[in-house]
Amino acid sequence: MTDHKKGRPLRRRSVLKALAAGTAALAAPSLIHHSIRRAHAAPGTIRMMGGPTVALKDWSQFEKDTGLKMEFTSFNVDDVGALYNEILANDAGERFDLINTLAGVQKPMVKQGQVAQLDTSRLKNYAGIADSVKRSPVLYAGDDKDWAVPLYYNADSFGYYPEKLGLARPPEALNWDILLNNEKTLGKASIDGDNIALMIGGMYLKDRKLAEIADPANMTASEVKTAADYMIERKKAGQFRNLWKTYDEQIANFVNGEVLVQRCWEPAVKDVKGRGQDVEYATCSDFHINWMHATSIPVQAAARENLEEIYRALDWFLGGSYAAELAVLRGYTGSRMDLGLEYAKAAGWPADKIAAVEANITKVKTKFLNPNFWIGGAPDDLAAHDAEMARFRNA
Amino acid sequence: MSAMRKGQAGTGVEQAAIGTITVLWVLGVLLPILSLLVISFIQGKGLGFVWAFSTKAYADILVDFRIEIVLRTLRIVAAVTLIELLLAFPFALWLAKGLKPGWLKSTLLILLVVPFFLSPAARTIVWRSILGSEGLVNIFLAQTGISPEPVSWLLFSEFSVHLGLIGPYFPSMVWPLFISFSLIDDELIKASRDLGADAFTTLRHVVVPLALPGIAAGLVFTAIPMLGDNVASTLLGGGNVALIAESFDDLIRAMNYPGAAALASLLVLAMLLAFLVARLVLARRQASEGGIFAEMQA
Repeated sequence: MTDHKKGRPLRRRSVLKALAAGTAALAAPSLIHHSIRRAHAAPGTIRMMGGPTVALKDWSQFEKDTGLKMEFTSFNVDDVGALYNEILANDAGERFDLINTLAGVQKPMVKQGQVAQLDTSRLKNYAGIADSVKRSPVLYAGDDKDWAVPLYYNADSFGYYPEKLGLARPPEALNWDILLNNEKTLGKASIDGDNIALMIGGMYLKDRKLAEIADPANMTASEVKTAADYMIERKKAGQFRNLWKTYDEQIANFVNGEVLVQRCWEPAVKDVKGRGQDVEYATCSDFHINWMHATSIPVQAAARENLEEIYRALDWFLGGSYAAELAVLRGYTGSRMDLGLEYAKAAGWPADKIAAVEANITKVKTKFLNPNFWIGGAPDDLAAHDAEMARFRNA
Repeated sequence: MSAMRKGQAGTGVEQAAIGTITVLWVLGVLLPILSLLVISFIQGKGLGFVWAFSTKAYADILVDFRIEIVLRTLRIVAAVTLIELLLAFPFALWLAKGLKPGWLKSTLLILLVVPFFLSPAARTIVWRSILGSEGLVNIFLAQTGISPEPVSWLLFSEFSVHLGLIGPYFPSMVWPLFISFSLIDDELIKASRDLGADAFTTLRHVVVPLALPGIAAGLVFTAIPMLGDNVASTLLGGGNVALIAESFDDLIRAMNYPGAAALASLLVLAMLLAFLVARLVLARRQASEGGIFAEMQA
């Protein structure tokens, strides 16, 4: 009751639960189901919730290496609000042993006491991860503790048609003018329909020294307004054919001939290339957008009897098998690409697959040496970003 | 005595049923709406709330671009609803009065139900391959020499959003109209013709007044769900046509729950006002018709 006193902070969880009380009778079947599910947590099985790109097509190697079964539940982790709801209001930690998020999103969950502190001495592959990754601003909370392991990461840019635009192919570097400020691509460019579009605007302005922006991935209200003003100016100039929201839309934009250049995910370019189109994913001289997927152990799981199995599973994700598989499947860089290459060679993989693994090692040496901005899932002033994004979309 | 007991038992069952439905309605409908109202007046703070009365959410929502989004949504919904009425009225009238019962009528009625079974995204996305830069329309325009360059406003524009909304909501307008027309006694139409009224006069003075409840229901069933549609604006607007449903998504994604609740409360208020206006118009219409009948009887 003290929560309800004027001015005292009231946790969203308690409000949601109080509001739900009136409908508890209607929810009775699911509550019963929930308690049964908790009671039947099976040892020998790892229950993991994470983004769809985390999942492998086949978990047999995981099962062979760890002796555990994988029960993977896909969740749109990019939808940060829904993810927080799942963790805070729906007690995801009661149902999962491992929770994967975009790195950065886990930080508020650490503050809320939802994440167990990691004992990294139980992860034999952890020490070999580069410090620049382990201590990246999206992963490290600055408290000298480890809360999440980096699963994979990437340096994002944009996809483009080199022939049609008369541009060089990677690894020759291009710059972001091609997407944001170019007569040739006017009306034939596309960009994210979410806050990342504004962050890109902020990165561009900072890189060109057109505005004072401390961290484009975590802007203040006035900084994000400056970035939005610039993006609105470009939108009004007719630069963007559309703003996309989903992976399928990225593919459709390329395949249907709507764009010549598009800010997109690397797997989208991989996919479109597979359909016979001459598309490349740019290496940039000015900046890249770095992001990471992180995995943590929910605080509830830390008290469970299968904690040793959870650590065994987590360590497998930091090993060579997962890094190599993911490099081929998605083109993403695993935490330990050195182990990935070792694994691929030892397993006798064909040359093209080994080349895909090596490409990720090269990527770390090239793209990650260029200026980079790490983006987390949720900037501190999310409301300001949201309001400015709505203004940009409405322009 | 036994009949009386049966009657009393029947009344008891009826009262229990009414009581149960009322409780469910309060819990399932009224409580969430009241929760919306309460949340819209709470202060949001990070992942939590501060239990203090605040109108900040309304102040955040009532800014120029959000008002523009609300007005644009209302304009597009009104325009598409009117188009639906113009298209559905003759079709439903023909279906109810012009077409004899048979396989054609049954088939058409079944076809009207089909869209309810399709994914909204699946039935909307097809417009992209028709209206896109390399879509069917642009290929036709290029091959006929009408427009050698692709017409860009066909897609990712208000035009494509209008077009994308027409198909999915057509059955919502047709069904109430069809039922309303079907309930009109054919003898009344014959009587009007016998008294020398032409087709238009019969339509205006007999069919439309009697179908008015169906027209009102059609407008409500079409316009209100359309207010919450985010499929057409997302897939065919391409970020160039912001509608209110996307604002809800964005506010919830940003965990601005008081903002989303404030926007929803305003929308509920707008719907209540629209309902009250429709009810007043219908009541006035019925009162004036009642007067005519009273005069006729005198």
